[in-house]
Amino acid sequence: MALNVKVGLIGLLDMLKFANLAKKREQYIAASPAEEIKADYPINNLAKAMHPDYQPLVIDEIIDHAAAGAKTFVFKRADGQPACYFRAGQYISLKLPIGDSFVTRPYSISSSPKWALEGKLAVTIKTNPGGFAADWMLENLKVGDEIKGTEGLGSFYYEKHRDQKHVIALAGGSGITPFLSMAYAIRDGIEDFNLTILFGSRNEEVILFKDEFDAIMAQTDKVKVVHILSEEEKDGYEKGFITADLIKKYAGEDPYSIFICGPEAMYRFVAREVEKLGLERKYVRQEFLGATKTVWKQPEYPQACRDKVFKLTVKQGPNETVCDCSSNEPILVAIERAGIKAPSRCRSGECGWCRSRVISGDVFVPAETDGRRWADKQCTEIHPCASFALSDITIVVPGEYY
Amino acid sequence: MAAKYDVVVVGSGNAGLSAAVSCVVQGKKTLLIEKHNLPGGVASSFSRGRFEFDPSVHEICDVGAGDDLGHVGLIMEKNGIDVDWVTVPDCYRCISKYSDGTPMDVTIPAGREAYIDAIEKYVPGSREPLEKFFDLIYEIRLAKVYMFDGTPNDPKYMQKHFPNTLKTCGYDSLSVMKALKIPQKAIDIIGVYWPYLGVPLDEVNFFHFGNMIDMYVTRRAVVPHHTSHEITMTFMNRFYELGGEAWFNCRAEEFLFDGDKICGVRTSMGDVECDQVLANINPHIIYANMMPKELVPEREKKLYAARKNNLSTRFSMIYFALNKSCEELGLTDYCVFFAGTADSRKEYENLKSIDNDYNILISYNNIIPDASPEGTCVISFTKLFSDGKDWSEMTAEEYYKAKDKMIEKCIEDVKKNLNIDITPYIEEVEVATPMTFARYLGTPEGTPYGFEVKSWDGVIARMTDIEADFNIKGLRHIGAGSFFGDGYSSTWINGDMTAGLACADLEEGGK
Repeated sequence: MALNVKVGLIGLLDMLKFANLAKKREQYIAASPAEEIKADYPINNLAKAMHPDYQPLVIDEIIDHAAAGAKTFVFKRADGQPACYFRAGQYISLKLPIGDSFVTRPYSISSSPKWALEGKLAVTIKTNPGGFAADWMLENLKVGDEIKGTEGLGSFYYEKHRDQKHVIALAGGSGITPFLSMAYAIRDGIEDFNLTILFGSRNEEVILFKDEFDAIMAQTDKVKVVHILSEEEKDGYEKGFITADLIKKYAGEDPYSIFICGPEAMYRFVAREVEKLGLERKYVRQEFLGATKTVWKQPEYPQACRDKVFKLTVKQGPNETVCDCSSNEPILVAIERAGIKAPSRCRSGECGWCRSRVISGDVFVPAETDGRRWADKQCTEIHPCASFALSDITIVVPGEYY
Repeated sequence: MAAKYDVVVVGSGNAGLSAAVSCVVQGKKTLLIEKHNLPGGVASSFSRGRFEFDPSVHEICDVGAGDDLGHVGLIMEKNGIDVDWVTVPDCYRCISKYSDGTPMDVTIPAGREAYIDAIEKYVPGSREPLEKFFDLIYEIRLAKVYMFDGTPNDPKYMQKHFPNTLKTCGYDSLSVMKALKIPQKAIDIIGVYWPYLGVPLDEVNFFHFGNMIDMYVTRRAVVPHHTSHEITMTFMNRFYELGGEAWFNCRAEEFLFDGDKICGVRTSMGDVECDQVLANINPHIIYANMMPKELVPEREKKLYAARKNNLSTRFSMIYFALNKSCEELGLTDYCVFFAGTADSRKEYENLKSIDNDYNILISYNNIIPDASPEGTCVISFTKLFSDGKDWSEMTAEEYYKAKDKMIEKCIEDVKKNLNIDITPYIEEVEVATPMTFARYLGTPEGTPYGFEVKSWDGVIARMTDIEADFNIKGLRHIGAGSFFGDGYSSTWINGDMTAGLACADLEEGGK
């Protein structure tokens, strides 16, 4: 039997109804009042406030930690807005106009998220002999200087559904900064977990934030700091390095998560110690390390390419720039040296913000910092912050909004 | 000014990608600009730890395979897009309550026969009306091919070949299914997919809904093997191969006019001259912020007034990576719907609240074993909101708490409905909210779905006169806010069709 569907009483009227759909729609529209079209949505406004193109920051105060060779830069929003709210442990990427270049650097926020609501934000920067941006900042930046920065970035924060309620932080040098922010957040009632920080310093004199942590510990029993001195033996301090035994000593009975932040050498030592604890992978988290400074030591690196200077052609929108590119440095560094404003954030190959397309030429991507998406690895998309030229190359980079 | 382009495609969401490729396939000099640093819109991926997550894909319909290609499959073939698809064997499991309040827990396979068999098992007496239902939606499939092939439609031909389509398609879906005498409980089961179109069964046009069921059930759904970023990159690579140019982190700031015709786009990377613009941007944003007020047509101001309170579904997506396999955890289904009620009208009202019970669980590894490293799995939850109000009054602090609440709700839903506690296995967790979608898509309140396909504004009403909403010379809207509504498939088709119109205009102008 042939299908014969009838919805209304008279099938023919049904057909008319169909034929009239577009006409009815126009009638409905015509009967509506002509209104001025607005696109102002609170949801979009909050999204924009939390993820602006950049935060205009002005240096409000500089705190000198002379013995530690570090300074804390306290920023205010230059536009009088509250600073972007963030999760304690996140970093901001500062955009530094150094000479003719625009250079980004990621720094963990060392202040409490509560400060952000009051319009303030702090990062702490330690001298890095032979480095570029850190020492430039320490020497050149003054109160009143304006700098652009991102909102808080990254996933290095306490996540209560994922992490154990007891977090053991392993910190070295300026790697203490995200944990100071976490400690403040706990004190301020923003985060609720127990934080034991094992903090390695050379000697008592150079310990960063000793007073700050002492003050926090006086206010909350959820934060505990154990100082470990590698070059000094002193009462009240552990002597040596952060070892598996030391972690066990301060871990107590409850299960714990481990968070690691520190310089590469410390990280490599500590990672071996942590492995001895036999923790599930999900309970060990680390902040990004940055791209390698010795790419020629990476497995499978073609040694003939070391110490070479190649020609880099950078296409960005309608513009094209040609510059030199050292094979020993990430391609992003060459882009920045050429004065091109290109996006970048984590500088560790992970966040993908600098994602660019190679049109011609060969690049080397160290496996340990290859944070690319699966499909990007199948074609010629790279993260220039952690990719190295092996020949003359031409790449297309995204624009930047500052 | 930079070089002159035939077409500038603004926005590289699904519609933008499809349109851009369609333009270069037709030999047009095309520039694709995207405000974000990578293409795709919701068709993307993101990494956390050792996992890569798909931000949005559940099931993609209308692709087909072999010599039974769907509309999407045909477009992909025509445009040279070859994706590594994985077929989804079952439609869904749904744990809910029937309209009459009795408990529902059904698992529905794909394929006409298996689908009807399953529903007959749960609701005896469904078989006969369901056979008619499938005959009808098959006729609609043929009618759709005839109607939207780009040639004029002959009413006599249609009356002869598609009489039932013409007779049913002026109606809402609930009325038609009732007229077919499908038992209410079976309607409840068929209706599980209603949120994919954003409005309840008593509102959504039957042509639209029936066709969706045909595409999902008869032709089966697919998903990309390596997240939807893989699809996006397949489009991009094809676009590059045919000479297309793309600028990322490039914001279209305003449209430039020569009299009343668009002649270019002012972007954050400079002005670009062009003949045609295909805008993968919600029309409200364009008219409010991106062009001179005096050039906004009166008719569009009326359309705005008619639609401004009808933004379609907003979403929160919650992504987990677990350090056990689906098998070990007992997460055996690919797709499970948790709904407070199968009564779509009631549920639509419930979805106005941020605290609603609706949730869709996708366990990717069940059909893509290597979706994550061995011994782990990735799952996602999709929560829907038919109103943005609960998300509109939040401070940043409250926003983080709302994210926590989304996570806890998902953990609770799996515990309650499947008796599985995922808590100890969470290695990564991430939450996207309407704010996240607003950030990446720029759409009003972050909706990826455009405007509700209300009875007056249904897709068929829009599509029988697809140029009706294109009232600025040289500018056409593409994407979910355009004529074909939401969804990967719909926006690909919409992008391709609209690119066809723009290219025809160019050719008329001698290009």
